[in-house]
Amino acid sequence: MPPEYDARQDKQARAAQAKQVVDIFLEISTLLNSELDRETLSVCISLIENGINPEALAGVVRELRKEGEEIKKEIRGGQE
Amino acid sequence: MSSRDQRVHKGISSLVARLHVDIPGEDPESAEERQNNAIDFVTELLQSSKTPAVVADVNQASDLIKKRLIQTNASPEKALRFSQLYSRLLSIPVISQKWAVLYLLYQLGDQQQPSYVPPALTSPFKSPIKRPEKRKLEQRLTPQHSPPQSSRRDINEFEEAFAPEGLRRLPERPGGQKDRKAEDEAFNKNPATQRGIVTLKTALLAENYVEIDPPESALLRDLPFTLQGLSSTNLPFGTTKTLKIPPTLPVPIVSILHTLAEPSLLYRGLASFVKSADGGLLGQSLRAAIGGELRSYLGLVAILEGQIRRALSSLDENEPRGGIGKAGVTLKRCVVWTREATMGLRLMSLISEESKSKRGGQLISLIHGFSSSHGDPMVGAFAERLLVHVTRPFYDMLRHWIYDGELSDPYHEFFVSEQDPNAVTEAPEGKGRGGASSVWEDKYKLDEDMVPSIITQDFAQKVFLIGKSLNFIRYGCGDSQWVEKYSKAASKELRYGDTETLETWIDEAYKTTMARLIHLMAEKFHLFEHLKALKNYILLGQGDFIALLMESLSSNLDRPAGAQYRHTLTAQLEHAIRGSNAQYDSPEVLRRLDARMLQLSHGDIGWDCFTLEYKIDAPVDVVVTDWGNRQYLKVFNFLWRIKRVEFALSLTWRKCMTGARGVLQGEDDSVAQAWKLTRGVLAEMIHFIGQLQYYILFEVIESSWDELQTAIHREGCTLDDLIKAHTKYLNAITHKGLLGAKKKYHGEVDENTFMVQLGEVLRLMLSYRDAVDGLYSYSVAEFTRRQGADLRSEAQSRREDDEGHLINTPRSTRRGPRHVDSTPAQPADEGISDEFPVLRERLQGLGGHFKSRVCLLLGDLAYQPDVDMRFLGVVMNFNDVYQPVRKKHKSKETVRAAVTAAAKS
Repeated sequence: MPPEYDARQDKQARAAQAKQVVDIFLEISTLLNSELDRETLSVCISLIENGINPEALAGVVRELRKEGEEIKKEIRGGQE
Repeated sequence: MSSRDQRVHKGISSLVARLHVDIPGEDPESAEERQNNAIDFVTELLQSSKTPAVVADVNQASDLIKKRLIQTNASPEKALRFSQLYSRLLSIPVISQKWAVLYLLYQLGDQQQPSYVPPALTSPFKSPIKRPEKRKLEQRLTPQHSPPQSSRRDINEFEEAFAPEGLRRLPERPGGQKDRKAEDEAFNKNPATQRGIVTLKTALLAENYVEIDPPESALLRDLPFTLQGLSSTNLPFGTTKTLKIPPTLPVPIVSILHTLAEPSLLYRGLASFVKSADGGLLGQSLRAAIGGELRSYLGLVAILEGQIRRALSSLDENEPRGGIGKAGVTLKRCVVWTREATMGLRLMSLISEESKSKRGGQLISLIHGFSSSHGDPMVGAFAERLLVHVTRPFYDMLRHWIYDGELSDPYHEFFVSEQDPNAVTEAPEGKGRGGASSVWEDKYKLDEDMVPSIITQDFAQKVFLIGKSLNFIRYGCGDSQWVEKYSKAASKELRYGDTETLETWIDEAYKTTMARLIHLMAEKFHLFEHLKALKNYILLGQGDFIALLMESLSSNLDRPAGAQYRHTLTAQLEHAIRGSNAQYDSPEVLRRLDARMLQLSHGDIGWDCFTLEYKIDAPVDVVVTDWGNRQYLKVFNFLWRIKRVEFALSLTWRKCMTGARGVLQGEDDSVAQAWKLTRGVLAEMIHFIGQLQYYILFEVIESSWDELQTAIHREGCTLDDLIKAHTKYLNAITHKGLLGAKKKYHGEVDENTFMVQLGEVLRLMLSYRDAVDGLYSYSVAEFTRRQGADLRSEAQSRREDDEGHLINTPRSTRRGPRHVDSTPAQPADEGISDEFPVLRERLQGLGGHFKSRVCLLLGDLAYQPDVDMRFLGVVMNFNDVYQPVRKKHKSKETVRAAVTAAAKS
């Protein structure tokens, strides 16, 4: 469905489309089991749209997750 | 761009915030600091890696995801779902970096993956051998299971994604061409992107990879040893000519290994060739040259080994194919790297094979053939390089040869070879030439087969002459000082390459050597003086000397050969020299002049055996060889005979002339008639001899001498030229001088040579002279008788006057005062009167015989091809007194008939 809207309606349509895209990506993400929630995904999409290297971004995300994981483990270890 | 940076920054902080884990009990300040640190870290990380390592292509990311989905899930459901989602995604134009997001998701997707995922998209195969089958199965199944709602395009893409070829055409994108263009630009601008393509390709190739045993890394590890011809665990050498390749390898790897085995085996062969010791100097230098090339080959192998080591050390064993695809060194690449070296090895092994049957110059010709006439410029250059090394000993030999005149060729590789002295004497052509002649003619031989193609035949001839001359100067002429001086002054290092300079040097050496040799011959060994002396004495050029010698010897030589003594001969010779202009000749020449007797046979008189001799010693006998000496002797003997006949005839003629004024005057008409005829024949003979002598001395000897003079005084004349000119001179003399000219038909050669005919004529002349002498004595006796009778009659008449009664006494009974005893006088008178008709008959017979002989000779002469010899015939018969006869016609016919009959039978 090619977008043939007036300029007026453009912004609205864009927003809808963005939502749609995020939906699709989210679904793919779940398919791939990448454990991203919607907000994180949209942040990532916007970062990529701004020219960030996806590979590096993936690394960063993984790194941050690992860190978080470790902290959580520590916390758990501290609690026990 | 600040707005973008801001956005990025905002994105990063929100991302960090989202992923941030709160630590309970942590004060907010440190939490914030930790967050800030994280943000800084993330920002730095993201800014540092701006460019992606993979191709910016939507399809690629989607392919990867599809593959992942199919591989991780047994059913194609999820993949189909993804395809649908993907097609929907493509239809939405909002974001431009769809592929990047997909890629991000892909990267984040499998958390079980190793911590760092390399840019080369890894395949998670755990059991690669099993995998392809499974995948094929899936490939087969997929189209059948494709749900009806999926569009045609989806299927296409789906199939495309599984195409074993890997890369495919880019699908047209609804997003428009603009995106594509931007991407293309990025492609071209960014080398990193290009690298990305390669990585992608290798990654895709890796997908089709089948594990081999032994692994490629092991093969690579062994490869340097194999290339050096050493056995290794995986690639052991069988015999010298075989390499065992593990049978477990798949065919493509085997074929690659075959290609790699070629240089290895060639190297092994060449290494053993280099170590082998047979072959001469050139063979050794060839080995050295090949050894040098092999060293550079080993250098290449070492570099290769270094590369392989480095690559292997950076390998990650856990990656597919042992990670070889990434390391940059593969078997295939090794093949490419060794290709050029293999060509060189191949050429060298060809040369080494060929060289086994060749030596010396042929070896050089062989390699030169490669360098000059091989179509491949690489081969040409390679052979040229080899040639520089290989020819070194050759040029060393050449230098020794042309500057020192020494042959330093222990392996008989030079194109000049020293002859075995025994072989020379045994050779059929070696007509017992001795002394210096053999040094010049036979000591060295030019072996045309051994002349390398880098020098021409002319050139080789020149080189041969130079060395031979130097050698001759040193040993034949005893002038080694000059040779040493010359070799010190002129010796230059010769080497392959600059042919032109080499030629000039050799020309120079040639000129110097030849000039020196001629100079030595002329100045030190008086060659030209000797030639002149030979002509003067042996060819009777010195008239006064010969006349005197003949006069003083004639009485002596009339006696039988057995009564000739050397001392008398030499004494007469000395006398002749003293009494003639010969005394002014140089003692060097006169010392060599000797008179001696030839081998005498029974019944010979001195004339037949006497000969003059001119002794020639080394090194002049190079020019005046033994053969030459024999020719001189032959000519001398012939001339001496003619001279002797002339001398005898002129003596007789003188006697007749003086006698004609006195004793020969008689009243008897028949005797007067006989004398007249005799004088006529004598004049004929003298004319004949005169013409013959004139012809030989002036037409033959002088003209040949003139030719010889011009030949030997020509500029740049070499010793060989001298020898040739002299031989030609002698040949001309013997041929034209009627000594060697054979008649055309061979059956009767011996009877019909001019030599034999002339000998006959000369003998006739001598007998005629004897007969004339007989006639003379008869006439003298007659005259004396008459005189006695006159005296008696005078005395009688006086007595008659005195006594007057003795007038009627018969004349025959009268006794002169000399003939006191009448009894013996009476028969003597009768004998003399009886003698006359016999004498006359004999003279007539001999005269007729002589004439017919001369006619025959003239007939033969008239048909000689040589102008000079025809001229002799004309001169002798200038007024057509003789009718030249060709009596041989008939016999020639019969001979021909006999020959043809013989041929037929």
